Amino acid sequence: MIKKNIYAPLYIATAVIALSLLIGFAFRRPYTFHGTVIEPPLPVTDFSLQTANGESFRLSDQDGKIVLLFFGYTSCPDVCPITLGTFKQVYERLGDDAQKVRFVMITADPDRDTPEKVAAYAAQFNPEFIGLSGSLAELKAIWKELGVFVEKQNSDSAAGYLVSHTASVYVIDQNGDLLMMFPYGTGTIDMADDLTQLLKQMEKR
Amino acid sequence: MKNKNSISLLLLATLLVNACGSFSAELTVQDAWARPANAGENGAAYFIIENGSNIDDTLLSVSSDIAAATEVHMSMVDGNGVMSMQMQEAVIVPAKDKVEFKPGGLHVMFVSLTRDLKTGDTITLTLDFKEAGSLTIQVPVRAQ
Repeated sequence: MIKKNIYAPLYIATAVIALSLLIGFAFRRPYTFHGTVIEPPLPVTDFSLQTANGESFRLSDQDGKIVLLFFGYTSCPDVCPITLGTFKQVYERLGDDAQKVRFVMITADPDRDTPEKVAAYAAQFNPEFIGLSGSLAELKAIWKELGVFVEKQNSDSAAGYLVSHTASVYVIDQNGDLLMMFPYGTGTIDMADDLTQLLKQMEKR
Repeated sequence: MKNKNSISLLLLATLLVNACGSFSAELTVQDAWARPANAGENGAAYFIIENGSNIDDTLLSVSSDIAAATEVHMSMVDGNGVMSMQMQEAVIVPAKDKVEFKPGGLHVMFVSLTRDLKTGDTITLTLDFKEAGSLTIQVPVRAQ
């Protein structure tokens, strides 16, 4: 009763070939970044800030690593831990590539955040994360150059003043060029995929 | 005859109990959690308030014994990517509606924690509502 279709293997083979072509095509498409690509890349003036134990961090001295920058303050209980939590997951997702990226938090509140305090705060999320502070003048220069808005806000909170600040993440390459910005709320997978792609492109160059 | 009646009564009772279990006509606080943080730092906690009653309610305050102060704040991001926080005097929970406290939005802020909050710990929070009165909840500490 069951009529065997002698063409069945041919159909299947055709389908398999079509599918592999389709997949091949899908992967050949140029990669679309999730972050905002800065075109042309914006050269960032070299800076040096302080981290724990009197050590300093110089942007131009990062062994060819990409620097992933975020501005925040340690009194901030909600948004800053969200971004550092994302950094932690991005680090884990990158695997070996995480060694080619420096994860850095720069304070938006130098009056209360000593270098030790920011360093300890960042390190809670991952011991390799770097926390930086400096003088108001040093920080202001960096904020201004990257377009980071920082403003103290009076409040009735027992925490004293609060700080409004740009919550974007900045990607700076080993030449000190700002390549990309991630808006606040960019997910772990999107950020990690973009970084993997950037690292790939750099290796090709 | 007597037996039949008691069976019907039992059925009715079971039905009523089930009905009450699946529908809360009250105000409840669910899915609470707090972020790990160290003593001396500020911390945050989140939950969902569901108001099953027919009247609007208002969260007047939150208290705890783990920080110098316990406040309600709202994080907001503007069109330029600038994040700011605003302290909330009160939070309205409309009748038959819910209000979600979540990262990047409404949250309980612990100012200057008097103890470490470590993953696996449980803390106690008391929420004071205008209508529902005082609600005490157990809040687990966990990473996001």
